[in-house]
Amino acid sequence: MNQIQIMFTKPTPSRVLIADDDPVMRHLLTTVVKQQKCEVVMASDGRQAYRILQSDSKFRAAILDINMPFLEGLDVVQYMRSEKRLMKIPIMIITAEENLKLMNDSFSAGATAFLPKPFTPEQLESAILLLLHSQKMTRGAS
Amino acid sequence: MSVSPITNSQSTSARHPTRAITSDMLDFQVLRAFAKVKSDDGSDVVIELIDLYLHATAQRIITMRNAANAEEWELLKRTAHTLKGSSSTLGLRQMAKICQDIEASLSSCADVHRLLSLLESKFVEVKPVLIRERNRRRALPP
Repeated sequence: MNQIQIMFTKPTPSRVLIADDDPVMRHLLTTVVKQQKCEVVMASDGRQAYRILQSDSKFRAAILDINMPFLEGLDVVQYMRSEKRLMKIPIMIITAEENLKLMNDSFSAGATAFLPKPFTPEQLESAILLLLHSQKMTRGAS
Repeated sequence: MSVSPITNSQSTSARHPTRAITSDMLDFQVLRAFAKVKSDDGSDVVIELIDLYLHATAQRIITMRNAANAEEWELLKRTAHTLKGSSSTLGLRQMAKICQDIEASLSSCADVHRLLSLLESKFVEVKPVLIRERNRRRALPP
């Protein structure tokens, strides 16, 4: 008897890594990301984000604060861009600095988007939509 | 002033119009704008942000005072930076400005202690205003 085997592949989960040492920002970012039907994985500093990324690469996007204890956001960006399994994940950098050099440094390190504080809810929502959309474009292009 | 998210593939940045100043201490327009952000369980995000801010800020001021006493300038600078970000995002301009001044004045020990005292007294002023706003929102019909 011929047997037909059907393999079900698990779809890539819509998970977003959020790393910020400020609980106010973490809550705000989490709420907006969840609005987009994404699951959130949280880190309260750069080292925690790095440890999560060492064993987990199934993220649709990452949102990183630039100024975090133990490991800066840009160090996490550089790590992600140096690892094959992480390098296609879109990254948004959030910072309390409105600094052109910092923005250039973020893009040079491999960030996809840069959002300075303060931001309005609309700006945050559109930035997150843009970030999630950029993953789709990356996948479509590859 | 805040800017729109800037992407790696975009070189232009759309400036957000300057917000009307409703209060130097707390810009209610900025804070209440976050009511548009809908949480998945239907809770009021503004109430949650106020609660988190009050709790985190009280802790951060203690951290900053201890850091100043121990001359741990990096910790002091990072904490001031984080508090500047959440304060400006929630419309607490004076708190954000004092944090910015602390960041800029780390070369002068006397200035740091004076600014920390100013920050503490500003938080004492801001706290009841935030609590009133939180309680007002709690009393609103669902």
